[in-house]
Amino acid sequence: MTEVKKPIKKPRGKAQLIENRCIACGARCQSVCPVNCVEMNEAGEPIIDQSRCIGCVKCVTICPAQAIEMFFTPEEQALLDQLIAGADGKPEADDNSEELALAEKLSVYSGVWVFVEQTEGEPATVSWELLGKGRELADTLAVSLAAIVIGYGVENLCAEAFAYGADKAYLVDAPVFRHYRTESYLQAVCELIAKYKPEVILMGATGLGRDLAGAVATAVGTGLTADCTGLSIDDKRNLMQTRPAFGGNIMATIMCDRFRPQMATVRPHVMPMSEKQPGKNGEIIRETCPVREEDILVKVLDIISDRNKDNVDVAGAEFIVSGGRGMMGKENFTMLKELADELGGVVGASRSAVDAGWMPQERQVGQTGKTVRPKIYIACGISGAIQHLVGMQDSDVVIAINRDKDAPIFEVATYGIVGDLFQVIPAITNRLREIKAAKGLK
Amino acid sequence: MKHHSLFIILFVLAAAVFCFLAWRRLSLIALGKAEERFDDIPRRLRDMILFAFGQKKVLARPFGINHFVIFWSFIILLIANGDFIVSGLFPTISLRLLPASLHGPLLFLFDIVSLFALIAVLIASGRRLLFKLDTRYVKRRSLEGFLILSFIALLMIAYFGLHGAEIALGQEPLAGWMPVSTLAAGFFGCGSGCAGCGAACYLGFYWWLHAAVLLAFMIFLPISKHMHILTAIPNCFLAALDKPNTQPREEFAVNNCYGVVKVDDFTWKDLLDSFSCTECGRCQEACPATATQKPLNPRQVIHTLKTNLMANAAALKAGQEPLLPLTGAEGEGTNTREAIWACTTCGACMEACPVLIEQMPKIIKMRRHLVEMQSDFPEELLNLFENMEQRSNPWGIAPTERTKWHTTMEVKNFVAGETEYLFYVGCAGAFDSRQKHVTVALATVLNMAGVSWGILGKDEKCCGDSARRLGNEYLFDKMAKENVELFTSRKITKVITQCPHCFSTLKNDYRQYGLEIEVIHHAELLARLLQEGKIKLEHQVTELGRVLYHDSCYLGRHNGVYDEPRSVIAAVTGVNPVEAPRSRENAFCCGAGGGRMWMEEHEGERINIARVSEAVAALNAEQGAASTICVACPYCMTMFEDGLKDKGAVGVKVRDVAEIVAEGLRPVRDRRVI
Repeated sequence: MTEVKKPIKKPRGKAQLIENRCIACGARCQSVCPVNCVEMNEAGEPIIDQSRCIGCVKCVTICPAQAIEMFFTPEEQALLDQLIAGADGKPEADDNSEELALAEKLSVYSGVWVFVEQTEGEPATVSWELLGKGRELADTLAVSLAAIVIGYGVENLCAEAFAYGADKAYLVDAPVFRHYRTESYLQAVCELIAKYKPEVILMGATGLGRDLAGAVATAVGTGLTADCTGLSIDDKRNLMQTRPAFGGNIMATIMCDRFRPQMATVRPHVMPMSEKQPGKNGEIIRETCPVREEDILVKVLDIISDRNKDNVDVAGAEFIVSGGRGMMGKENFTMLKELADELGGVVGASRSAVDAGWMPQERQVGQTGKTVRPKIYIACGISGAIQHLVGMQDSDVVIAINRDKDAPIFEVATYGIVGDLFQVIPAITNRLREIKAAKGLK
Repeated sequence: MKHHSLFIILFVLAAAVFCFLAWRRLSLIALGKAEERFDDIPRRLRDMILFAFGQKKVLARPFGINHFVIFWSFIILLIANGDFIVSGLFPTISLRLLPASLHGPLLFLFDIVSLFALIAVLIASGRRLLFKLDTRYVKRRSLEGFLILSFIALLMIAYFGLHGAEIALGQEPLAGWMPVSTLAAGFFGCGSGCAGCGAACYLGFYWWLHAAVLLAFMIFLPISKHMHILTAIPNCFLAALDKPNTQPREEFAVNNCYGVVKVDDFTWKDLLDSFSCTECGRCQEACPATATQKPLNPRQVIHTLKTNLMANAAALKAGQEPLLPLTGAEGEGTNTREAIWACTTCGACMEACPVLIEQMPKIIKMRRHLVEMQSDFPEELLNLFENMEQRSNPWGIAPTERTKWHTTMEVKNFVAGETEYLFYVGCAGAFDSRQKHVTVALATVLNMAGVSWGILGKDEKCCGDSARRLGNEYLFDKMAKENVELFTSRKITKVITQCPHCFSTLKNDYRQYGLEIEVIHHAELLARLLQEGKIKLEHQVTELGRVLYHDSCYLGRHNGVYDEPRSVIAAVTGVNPVEAPRSRENAFCCGAGGGRMWMEEHEGERINIARVSEAVAALNAEQGAASTICVACPYCMTMFEDGLKDKGAVGVKVRDVAEIVAEGLRPVRDRRVI
């Protein structure tokens, strides 16, 4: 007859804030608390009513800054120590059975995938950028990095994907995939997921990628974080997806810890392009997908290319040299073009410059034009009316050149140059050339 | 009268045709949706007397006097013509039964009025022939117009011929009361009553001419634009009593269709409007879009409505879908999308219309359908709608930045009981760096005048004006409810605004949501404070040179605030402001109203350039080196600042009326040298 030992109830403890750790992320602890015992103070830090805390640890888990810990009274601590000793250091099983089941479910998924986007066989560079990031994630997780190549006659893209870091490529090549259509691509990706169960899928936040990623996430029933600016892996093998929230005022790190695959999209030019290693080889896994042309409702009738237009992508450029009314005339924009060429950037314009016919409409930056977020935005002769500012104020660095020291552009500028742009701009261009020449000599 | 049986037949036929034609058109009005237009009868009667019988808006233009004469001749001669018809049908009944002391003066009146009418008609014909037409909209001189004018002229000539002949025959005992007819009698011979000189033949001829023209006129009336003779007077009676810019609310429910896509989605009053238009073209002359070669012409909008209604009448009556689309590709009876989006909602068309037609609200109704049902709007607006919906300001700036303007000064939050006024800063006042100067200037003036005021800070929300004018009623509804809730919960009763768009929305539109509060624009408050002596000027502002005041549409035309800003300028500068050629009720829009602020202007001249050119020319006509354009609206501010830069008008500045007052509060030693 075995002695029935009354189990000692495991103390759960109370949550408490660790001083100076809180980053005022936006009251996640408050929102997750099941008994509403968390209030936020003026500074956006939590005030925890410990008398009501039930020790569910939800706030501790969700806190992105590990600013909340569990507090145990000395008696509880003693009890806890006793329990741990009694269990011989084995991990607690009773409370964690659910967690374990989940972990088991998730562990089936393995591998990092990057969707290789192509239009008429032309790959989108964002895919190669993502392979660079994917390589990093796969290495951290110690899994393989795979490229998903879907299309018709696109096998050559697999080799390119290997050169950018992929270990293998899943290739779905059939006439039905010649043009992107949500239905067909969705079905192909979902079949691949069901068969190979990856833990991470990355796609470019392009028109195509946004469409496909959302559809896939819905179909397979997982989470998706759009427009990530940072991706990394935490100690539980979860993908930490960081993106700006609330208009860029805070950075949110979003996790998808209960579902797989973890999906994220990243805008072009956000991740650095990795070094291409020509000749690197990998395994091509050919898959067929039983999508029939006649089952697809959408037909591609005609492809209208915008190539003949001014196809400079102002919105995606990393360096923009923009001109406004202060440029005085169309001919002076060649000066901006020279500077942009030196920087490897493009020329933008304010509305007045577009209205004056100095620049085409496609180059317009502002409320009624393009919204840009380049690394460097050089505003030349732009006073900075609010309509323009809202289109470029999220640029990493804003350099303003203007004669009027009171111009509002200086309010958002990182560096302001009060002076005659007809002297300043050539001076900058020349200096850049000098530096380049000097580097070239070394 | 011996042919009187023939006349009876002709009259009955003509009357039947008239009734049929008039009914065929007017019965279409019943196809429209319901709308309450019979409230406040006394005010309606007053409007009718003032605008229809008093011809107030007709007379606002120099040539209007001619129409006034024709109109009143018509009214008076209705009695004479009525008498003509009645005595034609029943020879025993006529005005002759009246005592001579009454009949005599009546005949004198008819005689003189007929002469006036004849002269007025000749002048009108001369004007049509001699003056140049705006060939952009009128392909040829309307035959219809000449036909009607000749009808009237013939009627008058027949009248004189008829009575002249009677006098010549000595059949008119009251000839002494009829000087013009007596003069005409001279043409028929001796004029002294001797018989047998052919006057009898003339009498018969003119009688039948008179009868024929009268009946032809009757038949022609309902099928021409001159239908307005029948509809204009009721149209004035049924005119909107509300502020014209306050569009009706919508009820949101599943399966509802919003706005206007088919002609019978309009209300019956909208349809009546289309029959009341006589295509005088005053609205198109006043319209800033038309004036700058945009595809919108308010007259055309009304004409299109009529054409579309007539074309689809049979189908609509049979309960079928209309054949001719109301919005779509360019064509007779169809409005283009470009036209619908070109409206600045400035209300100049409605101000100009002599018969109180409501052009602008119809455009908003069509916008509503495009936005709410078809999601079809200029792509620039997507950003705007998103920003307004998500961050409650047009630019999508973080709401916390609403308080940034007062980093240089102490500003209290509004607390009911402690602060009297809420200063509703508005999105432009809080975010736009140029307008922030105005906000600071106004706040400084309010403080110096001892006004008790506070702000809502980061809790302030956008009023939603642009959303409503752009037809995004769903968004506006949400924003209005939020604001009304905020205002009610904070117990706000008095509000100062610095933007006429916030002003009009809070004051007029929110009333539909049950918010009855006192809303004043800062120009009104400044005028009052100056008058009460609460603002003590340090010096008279002369450094701004001559100051021209530009009327904001939403302050002036839509809310009748014209004098206050002018009195402020006069008090601060010591001289009355310079007036632009088009000012007050006839002011020309800056081009930013009605959501145009957030759209590109692809076609024609820019509206703001047209207005800036006009203002600069008016200022140049004045003496003095420096000059300033004074505005009272953040949109006007932007449009003028931009326009002046584009035109390279050096030496002309733009100042808000509050900034001019703040200038006067600066101690003399601080005066900037300009």
